[in-house]
Amino acid sequence: MDKMIFLLSEGLKNLWRHKLTAFTAVFSIFLTLTVAGSLIIVSDNTGKIIQYLRDKYKIEVFFKQNVSNERIEEIVKEFKSIRGIRSTTIITKNDAKKIFKSQFGENVLDIVGFNPLPASCVINLVKRQKDKLNIRPIIDRLRKFSEVDEVNYQGRLINRIETTYQTFLKISIMLLIIILIVSVLIISNTVRLTIYAKKELIKSFQLVGATRAFIKTPFILEGIFHGLIGALCSSVLLFIILKFGSNFILSVAGLKIDYSFFKLFLILSSLGVVISFFGSNRAISKFLK
Amino acid sequence: MIQLDNVSYSYEKGGGVSNVNLTIQDDEFAFLIGPTGSGKTTLLRLAYMDLFPTVGSVIVSKYDSANIKAKKIPYFRRKIGMIFQDYHLLNDRNLFDNIALPLHVMGFHKDDIIDRVTESLEEIGLESKSNHYPNELSGGEQQRACVARALVKEPDIILADEPTGNLDPVTSFELIKLLEEINIEGTSILMASHNYNLIKGRGHRIIEIQNGTVRKS
Repeated sequence: MDKMIFLLSEGLKNLWRHKLTAFTAVFSIFLTLTVAGSLIIVSDNTGKIIQYLRDKYKIEVFFKQNVSNERIEEIVKEFKSIRGIRSTTIITKNDAKKIFKSQFGENVLDIVGFNPLPASCVINLVKRQKDKLNIRPIIDRLRKFSEVDEVNYQGRLINRIETTYQTFLKISIMLLIIILIVSVLIISNTVRLTIYAKKELIKSFQLVGATRAFIKTPFILEGIFHGLIGALCSSVLLFIILKFGSNFILSVAGLKIDYSFFKLFLILSSLGVVISFFGSNRAISKFLK
Repeated sequence: MIQLDNVSYSYEKGGGVSNVNLTIQDDEFAFLIGPTGSGKTTLLRLAYMDLFPTVGSVIVSKYDSANIKAKKIPYFRRKIGMIFQDYHLLNDRNLFDNIALPLHVMGFHKDDIIDRVTESLEEIGLESKSNHYPNELSGGEQQRACVARALVKEPDIILADEPTGNLDPVTSFELIKLLEEINIEGTSILMASHNYNLIKGRGHRIIEIQNGTVRKS
């Protein structure tokens, strides 16, 4: 326990002892996490946009004239079991007649003498799905029902939206990985400068019988503190930008961007700690080889 | 006990030691004397296993250089106190923290650390300077602080590499007296020096090394 307290206090004291390196490391982490945080916020809000768009996706299934309402209800029950379908609404021939009247102001029976409007079903698709929503298999399954006359959907548009979203997600993840790798290397090199400046300290530790873990721990803890400070700074900056920028974006693009500070700090501090841990561990391990 | 059996070590750029056979008994005080570059530091580095012989073996207490594992070396070094000409004190912490360092490494309890460090500071006569930083101390005081740092972990053996190299004759004499007192309490001491006048006539064994070979022991 006393050893842990000593190592923890060494890590904290090192922040002050290596002020310049600490500043450089914290600043690198701050920049990295600000970019990574922006990317996360954008990706998350893009997720909300895609959910909104998916909410608008609609498939209309028209049934043949001779299919009874009871049979339609049975078929729609089967529709619900198809993967990718969220909800269904049946529009009976009678409902269709009412809709016609409300839209055109005339009774269809007065015009043609009978009700030519088919019964139909409006299908809404799932919203919360990370991978691409593939509409083609759903359409194929709907068309397999012999009672189905026609299926209407915005196939090309849905496909384009889904493909663009998937490409955006892939690019975001790749960018995030690249940023993280580059920052691990930057932190590692920054910490290595501290280590070279502290050769005497490490030598003294070795001469008095310190184990590798004992020598490494204060440097790694110091790195973790850099990560946490960097994360706090970038969370505050991003939160301020969001606070003032979201109203502007709402007025210009009609899109409300919001993010909880706590969630943002939690994500960024986790990233910061991981980056710093690997960066400082890499540097000190190389030195002690 | 330190035992070197047929030990040879050579640096890439030349120099080192060859064919050294030497035994330092428990409780013994021995001087290692020789000119600069004769191999004194190499011999001491072999003894605290900072270097490993290319031929032969070094046995210190129960540790044998021929088969010691890398992860055991820190535990071995905890049994040995080391004193250097250039002190190796850490300038970013005060005297108390410098002396306490080996005890933190060994996992001592806070109260024990305070007791032991205070006792060591009293033994070397620097208790009033425990809050001073190394650069606020004279050369003699810094070297005494090194002795305290070596002593605080109650080692079986003290290896001193030219500890008087940066000190004036009076301070050097006082330091050797301090080491003699430590030896009387049961710690083996092997001290390297190039200053024969300082060590002659003190009644201790003198090991002479020249060009990497022990001439007289």
